[in-house]
Amino acid sequence: MKKLLISISLFIPFAAFIYCFLLIIWGTFAPSSFQKNLNYRIGGHMYERIREAQLTSKVDILFLGSSHSYRGFDPRIFKKGGFSTFNLGSSSQSPLQTEVLLKRYLIHFKPNIIIYEVYPGTFSSDGVESSINILANDKNDMESIKMSLIQNHIKVYNALIFSFYKNYSANNPDELKSDLKEDDEYISGGYVQKKEMYNNRKSYKKNKWKLNNDQFSAFEKTINLIKKENIRLILVQAPITESYYSSFSNNLDFDNKMKSYGEYYNFNELLQLDDSLHFYDSNHLNQSGVEVFNAEILKTIKM
Amino acid sequence: MLFNSFNFAIFLPLVLTLYWIISSKHLKVQNILLLISSYFFYACWDWKFLFLLIFSTSLDYLTGIQIAESNNERIRRFWLWLSIAINLGFLGIFKYYDFFAQSFSEGLLQLGFHVNPWTLNLILPVGISFYTFHGLSYVIDIYHKKIQAERNIVDYSLFVSFFPLLVAGPIERATHLLPQIQKKREFNYNKVTDGLKQILWGLFKKMVIADNCAYYADLIFNNSENHSGSTLLVGAVLFSFQIYGDFSGYSDIALGTARLFGIELLQNFAFPYFSRDISEFWRRWHISLTTWFRDYIYIPLGGNRVSILKKIRNTFIIFLVSGFWHGANWTFIFWGALNALFFLPLLLTNRNRLNLEIVAKHRIFPNFIEFINIVSTFLLCTFTWIFFRSENINQAVSIIITIFSTSIVQIPEIFPFYIIILLIFFIAVEWLGREGNYAIENIVIKWKRPIRWAYYSALLFLIGMFMQTEETAFIYFQF
Repeated sequence: MKKLLISISLFIPFAAFIYCFLLIIWGTFAPSSFQKNLNYRIGGHMYERIREAQLTSKVDILFLGSSHSYRGFDPRIFKKGGFSTFNLGSSSQSPLQTEVLLKRYLIHFKPNIIIYEVYPGTFSSDGVESSINILANDKNDMESIKMSLIQNHIKVYNALIFSFYKNYSANNPDELKSDLKEDDEYISGGYVQKKEMYNNRKSYKKNKWKLNNDQFSAFEKTINLIKKENIRLILVQAPITESYYSSFSNNLDFDNKMKSYGEYYNFNELLQLDDSLHFYDSNHLNQSGVEVFNAEILKTIKM
Repeated sequence: MLFNSFNFAIFLPLVLTLYWIISSKHLKVQNILLLISSYFFYACWDWKFLFLLIFSTSLDYLTGIQIAESNNERIRRFWLWLSIAINLGFLGIFKYYDFFAQSFSEGLLQLGFHVNPWTLNLILPVGISFYTFHGLSYVIDIYHKKIQAERNIVDYSLFVSFFPLLVAGPIERATHLLPQIQKKREFNYNKVTDGLKQILWGLFKKMVIADNCAYYADLIFNNSENHSGSTLLVGAVLFSFQIYGDFSGYSDIALGTARLFGIELLQNFAFPYFSRDISEFWRRWHISLTTWFRDYIYIPLGGNRVSILKKIRNTFIIFLVSGFWHGANWTFIFWGALNALFFLPLLLTNRNRLNLEIVAKHRIFPNFIEFINIVSTFLLCTFTWIFFRSENINQAVSIIITIFSTSIVQIPEIFPFYIIILLIFFIAVEWLGREGNYAIENIVIKWKRPIRWAYYSALLFLIGMFMQTEETAFIYFQF
């Protein structure tokens, strides 16, 4: 028995070392179709956003949330309205990742107002995609490890190991470009503007949000952190197309839950937008839609 | 609780620690601990069915004693048939009732009578086909005076419910497992590490091979009417590897886990895809079920020592029963019948026992004839698996017609290159290890420890890189 315990206690670090070693070799040299559980995507808007965030200090408004945030709050419009802003949204950012980003950058930005875009879809997700996005594009620390342990997902662990290696090796400039979409333009302040496009109307099957309790507990921690810092918090549900929004039967439940956390506005209910003219797909506003939406947000802030 | 789940990764070390550290000096305590753990393991699926398991166990325990204690043949036979009737009754109700009701109603419809079948829509208790067969073999063996009735209820319950084999076998025999349960088990370092190795290989088979093949096989079979013959052939081949990886992977994990507790279970797979004919395939595939049918159905029917007509009848009976055992669907029955058809020519020409040893023993490569025989047997099996996998006979026939059409020469629309590479690696390892009990048993055993460990770590890495991220159940849990 003693011999077995000794063998196991030697094998575990040995296997961990070999695993990390092979992962780095595999991640560096294997074709992407062979990297099934290593979706490490450096570059794109998150890389640029994080680099800019590291050089920015003190803003009036900090935006948090998913792609609805970084494609929905245009810093140029807010600047005209008299506010300096930064948009820390990221793809499919769920509350688990918001918590990590906020802990890293809240002191840095010292905002007066936080506009937190809350979307039931991110509260229903496992948050894997967004975790990988953050691990791949930001420097990693204990918070990254903690987030990975909470997610407890092999893709997140693999991305974590690979990101530690990448943090200590120079990034290839080609990789940084590989994730960019041609019709996207990064705007200083964390915003991404889409080339003017219009949504094709579609109908959707009836559906229901399956909200994830882990996401709510991370969300509550974030809310408490913001409240502790005496920052005005505005929870916002950004508009999506009416046809898609109304396909979900439990929107009201989500609204009621959000209202219990404080100042909350669901712009799907407050704004009358056109599914085609103001959106470029079912989930995202085009620039005309952003202008209408942001004007309403400015009014709300000034209330 | 699945073998490939996080919960099992906690459950197993916990039970193992208690087993070897706390209870190692007392056999009784060890067995009680294993029984409680097994019931807990089963209750994690659905605690309500635990009562059914306990009832079935108690029934066979009591009837076994009644049969053993009586010298009156009529009484002995009464208790035997009572046990068989109740066991098969439960199996029939839970597994087959709806099928019979549905088929009866469809049959009447063909005759012009419209009847709405009264179906029960019951959930099939996991493992019922396996533990029912455990109990039946025990009672039948007592009746034939091959074994004594077990008086210790804990030992007998553990024989039926030992958690590694409870939900998907192997189907153990009392003659093999009960003596091990009754005997004190000593900790053996080599056995434990061997068990861990077999678990690792089982996990690789399930999580890397079976689950990845399953993804694409499902994609192809679920939309079979829109694919070319070549794509459907790819789907059928992937399913062949899926079902092998899934079920033999499960068996490897079960055998490895049992070995950690000092218990040896029956080998269930012996490299069936290296078989040179269909009869060798059936000696190497799901061995514990095949031998069960042989011992409790085929031989009592007269086996091979009967007229040709009876031989044919007996062969069809065991293959049809085997198909039906797998599930209440005509596809399984047809699958069994096809296997009988492929097996019969070998039996009738006395060529069914030509290949008893593993192919190319003590050689690196097979000769040309052996190679052709292996490939053709694999393709024959793949052909039968199409029925096993299809939703109904119509789908299976339509798939086969498309495969044998001109679209077979088209480039497949779905051809997962990374899986092909994984399969080549998998087949190579299985080939190199085919003379052992499982593929990696002896492969690097003579190498120095760091190389051995690096090899095992590389397998862990492949699991981490290619495993499906959703938990996937084992196919045989539904049977």
